[in-house]
Amino acid sequence: MDLADRTVGFVLLLFSISLFSYYTFWVIITPFVDSDHFFPAREYAIFIPALAGVTLLSLIMIFVGVVLLLLRSGKSKSKTA
Amino acid sequence: MKHVWKLGTIITTLVVLWLALLTSSGLPSTLSAIVPYLPIYAVVALGCYGLAMVGYGLMVFPTCPTEAIQLQQDIAEAKVFLASHGIDVNHSSD
Repeated sequence: MDLADRTVGFVLLLFSISLFSYYTFWVIITPFVDSDHFFPAREYAIFIPALAGVTLLSLIMIFVGVVLLLLRSGKSKSKTA
Repeated sequence: MKHVWKLGTIITTLVVLWLALLTSSGLPSTLSAIVPYLPIYAVVALGCYGLAMVGYGLMVFPTCPTEAIQLQQDIAEAKVFLASHGIDVNHSSD
């Protein structure tokens, strides 16, 4: 259990560091080098995080809305019962 | 000053600085290629930092095995004591 937590933590750390370096290279360094075949077009560097952020916000709001609706329907059911 | 006002001031200052950089014309081509991407870059960097802090915290969190065993003993002891005094310890309350 302890070792599993540690490996998950290490994987998260590694993933975040690699994501950060990849993104930094993509956004900041590709305009200055010629051989940018390993990276997608620079416009996607705005599009993909924006899409991810919008998706995350939508999921959070959907979750909050569903919980509120269930709470309200549960309260009305217990009042009429 | 409340923390949210402090945060808002810092963010507003950074946004104004970024807008000034964006609309200024006398910028070397190296900087002017990067400036439009700075806000999204900051958000992604903040997300990566949060994830890294969570991962690091998971890695160095102490588990205290002796205290865990002691806690289980305390729970068993408390259950015996309460049961002997007539309190039901097995059913959870709604």
